[in-house]
Amino acid sequence: MTSTSAPQTHGGVGTAAPAVRAEGVSKVYGTGDAAVHALRGVDVAFDAGAFTAIMGPSGSGKSTLLHCLAGLDVVSGGRVFLGETDIGALNDRRLTLLRRERAGFVFQAFNLLPTLTAEQNILLPLDLAGRRVDRAWFDQVVATVGLRDRLRHRPAELSGGQQQRVACARALVARPEVIFADEPTGNLDSRAGAEVLGFLRASVRELGQTIVMVTHDPVAASYADRVVFLRDGRIVDELFDPVPASVLDRLAALEG
Amino acid sequence: MLRTTLAGLLAHKVRLLLSTLAITLGVGFIVGTFVLTDSVDRGVAVTFAKSADKVDAAVLPREADEPVTPQTLDAIRRVPGVTAVHGMVKGDAPLLGRDGRAVGDFPTVGLSVPQGPLLRYDVRRGRVPHGPSDVVLDQRTASRHGFAVGDTVTVLDPADRPHRFTVTGLIDVGIDPDANFQGAVGFDPATARRMTGAKGFTEVDVLGADAAALTTAAGAANRVLSGDALAAELTRENGADADVIRTGLLLFAFVAMLVSALVIYNTFSILITQRMREMALLRCVGATRRQVFRGVLAEAVVVGLVGSLLGLAAGALLGLGALAAINAAGAGLPSAGVVLTPLTIALALFVGIVVTVGAAVLPARAATRVAPVAALRAEQEPGGGRFRPGPLRLGVTALFGVGGLAITVFAAGFLEKGQVALFSVALGGTVLFLGVLALMPVLVGPLGRVAGAVPARFGGVPGRLAVANARRSPRRTATTTIALTVGVGLMSLFAVIAASSKEQTDRRLADQFPVDFQVSAQLGRDSDTARVPHALATALRARPELDAVTEHRWHETRIAGEERTVTAVTPSAWGTVVRPEFRAGSLAAFRSGTAIVDEETAKSLNLRTGSEIALRGKKGAETKVKVAGVFGGDTPLSGVVVPEPDFLGYFGPQDPSRIYAKVAEGADEDTARAVMEKELRPYPSVILGSSAEMKAELNKAIDMILMVFAGLLGLAILIALFGIANTLTLSVVERTRESALLRALGLTKRQLRRMLSLEALIMAVIGAATGVVLGIAFAWAATRAMTEEAAFAVPYAQIALFIALSAVAGTAASFLPSRRATKASIVESLTHD
Repeated sequence: MTSTSAPQTHGGVGTAAPAVRAEGVSKVYGTGDAAVHALRGVDVAFDAGAFTAIMGPSGSGKSTLLHCLAGLDVVSGGRVFLGETDIGALNDRRLTLLRRERAGFVFQAFNLLPTLTAEQNILLPLDLAGRRVDRAWFDQVVATVGLRDRLRHRPAELSGGQQQRVACARALVARPEVIFADEPTGNLDSRAGAEVLGFLRASVRELGQTIVMVTHDPVAASYADRVVFLRDGRIVDELFDPVPASVLDRLAALEG
Repeated sequence: MLRTTLAGLLAHKVRLLLSTLAITLGVGFIVGTFVLTDSVDRGVAVTFAKSADKVDAAVLPREADEPVTPQTLDAIRRVPGVTAVHGMVKGDAPLLGRDGRAVGDFPTVGLSVPQGPLLRYDVRRGRVPHGPSDVVLDQRTASRHGFAVGDTVTVLDPADRPHRFTVTGLIDVGIDPDANFQGAVGFDPATARRMTGAKGFTEVDVLGADAAALTTAAGAANRVLSGDALAAELTRENGADADVIRTGLLLFAFVAMLVSALVIYNTFSILITQRMREMALLRCVGATRRQVFRGVLAEAVVVGLVGSLLGLAAGALLGLGALAAINAAGAGLPSAGVVLTPLTIALALFVGIVVTVGAAVLPARAATRVAPVAALRAEQEPGGGRFRPGPLRLGVTALFGVGGLAITVFAAGFLEKGQVALFSVALGGTVLFLGVLALMPVLVGPLGRVAGAVPARFGGVPGRLAVANARRSPRRTATTTIALTVGVGLMSLFAVIAASSKEQTDRRLADQFPVDFQVSAQLGRDSDTARVPHALATALRARPELDAVTEHRWHETRIAGEERTVTAVTPSAWGTVVRPEFRAGSLAAFRSGTAIVDEETAKSLNLRTGSEIALRGKKGAETKVKVAGVFGGDTPLSGVVVPEPDFLGYFGPQDPSRIYAKVAEGADEDTARAVMEKELRPYPSVILGSSAEMKAELNKAIDMILMVFAGLLGLAILIALFGIANTLTLSVVERTRESALLRALGLTKRQLRRMLSLEALIMAVIGAATGVVLGIAFAWAATRAMTEEAAFAVPYAQIALFIALSAVAGTAASFLPSRRATKASIVESLTHD
């Protein structure tokens, strides 16, 4: 098991307090003989202003970890902090409000509400929170993702790549503390995928955004500053400044 | 294929549950109706059989108004072998209450109560009457007016002379409708004839006789029935009520079934759309179109069967409950247990299955049109997108819409007022409704925007999403809402017609008949005795508290070979108390030797101003009178009206049939009433009514009918609400991932619930509002079709209440779907199909 424990200073900010951290997080589905241990004591921190990828073989618990970090799922043991907030102590309502105000999401598919236009989808978290829209920021985000002429379209009228870019814009426009991305390019061809990933990386580099992304694609992971590897519900490795080849090597080592 | 069907049913059992319930309710209503009416029928039959079992034979007159004569009775008595004979007497015998006035608006029925084996009434207390001073009372009459065995009561004879009797017993009159409705007093046969003035017998019961000899003795004017035949005949006559009730209830059951069909159609449509991939997969692995079609229909058969069986059970309970409730309310229906006939069972299953399968045919056809390749295609939103009406739909809409409108306008505007016009309006309404049904998917878009304006503006994101969701599958929303439209539409229709009738009565009383009091004989008495003494009018005229005391006389006579009524009122009443609207001629021309006639008489006798009528007066003298005018409108006057002096000249002195009076200017209404009551004291059988009371009673009766209708339509509305819950549940299932996304992005559970309840509310309001508009429009057409110058009043508060209640109920219908939606785990919903 190789690990590089150099203090990491990527992405500019590098403050002492991580944006998200997990302390001894475990997650068990079912009970008794049927119990499945998806996470077995995960300790991990994600620095603010960094783009981190979570990788691992199927069933390693990477999606479960993301869901627990984002407050979409409840941990069975351990604690999760978003900033200084212990999210395990929150009831459903507070958790929902926390997601609404402090987190952003990009999922693999079904990211958008079919009844809303692209613009309405982008503004949805702000509307839900009843927050005012910073028009200048909105324009900047929309310009960055290149959707200016698609704002009035409904999701059915957009391509898969455009839909994911709308989802990214939605995650960004609320300026959340962390964006959680679950296989954001899983359904896209490589060109559209590259666009979306490039855009996510730019938001970290240029706007200081924090992103945690689950992926199984070494190319996608290579856009991150750091890759965390999971196997059997445990963090087993990490890699800084990944390139596709190095990610593949580590993955191969895990599988083997 | 059957196995696939059953597996499919099991997989979707929760989704099919609500449509099963819709069928259960509809079938339950039908079964309940039959159980109730069959049980009543059986009870009636059993009771009559028991009663008729006591006689060997009965002699009945062939014509009801020519009773069995005393001579015939004597002849029957002399027939060899006859051991007992009872000539049954039935006639008016007004009982006076403790206040010294005749009880009820109708006189109590005087009955003959025989001793011995031919007594057909159950004696509940005391004994049967023996002599000229004995009386028995119907037990309910006794309890209502506070009489008991041993009390002294007064009964009036045909000349309204009081006679005093001692109550010797209380009887149960069984299911004689007159005696039940009007109350009954029983005397021994001789006293009964004296007190009722009956000239003959309505029926002669005989024990121990030879049928042939009896027939000879009874003569040609009468017929002889065996005891069994008598029971059958009595049952048939009295069972007619149950038939009317059955028909009425079945009409409402039909509405409920129609709504159920809409709900089922919608459920199957949605399920088929959601299972598009499944259907396509079946086609991919080799199922033929026919197999897919049959598979869907087989599902419908199972749903229909289960729903009907549940409905059968529910209906039996409903019938039982209704029977108990009616009896608890004091109707005293004869009970012979609950009757569930094989016919009822067969009908329930048949209707339930046929309606379900019928409603599933179109969705099943849609299922066959799924191309096998759809299984491989990317998922798209089921049933969504913009709705574009096809040429067929537009054609149907135009045909039915324009056709229905044309029929209605023609019926309401141009047809002669009356039943034909009314039925034509009903036809027009039905046709137009079909047009609306076809057009509804186009309408829900704009209607949704209107109904959702408030939620969209003030409901925040949940509100906006709810509006968008309600409008996203126009067909689905259309069918869901139209189911509610049916019930609410009919409710509004009845409410408006009821309000209009009240308005009509008020207006009529105020305009054309402005009196405060009306004095008349008890209702339903023979016209000879149904008069009020002239002396009373004279006495009333002498009182300063009263004004405009008017006598109203009428007399039956033959004009041009037909029975007609000739009428007269006190001269001073013209233009004040009585204000007929003249269609031709005028009041000024109405002098001695003339007559004015109402429109109906004018038409049937072909009379115009200037025509002559030959009136047959007393002693057959004929007088020719000239028609001075034709009047219409709603006045108490009818037939041929002549001046009062002429009337008394033609027919001789005669007491008035009614007396009207107004409260004098400056007098107090309560004082005036006290005066009226004091002057009426010498005349115990006349009844005093005030227009305020009449109005209140009529309004109460109208409200009562409306309540019954509301109760019966309630079921159709309930089924429609199930439909809303159903559609919403299916939509929630379909939008599982969407809801999860919203929750992830920060929609709280409460907001999710609010979103769904607002969607239900919008659907309910669309349905209810459409119903209200149609209901009001057709109520307007119906009132126009009924009478000339019909009043039209919209009970705005009531209508607003209907919409508000629908909105609340719709919101309540979102309870289960909301629970389902909020309970779903975000992570599972996001990651699974």
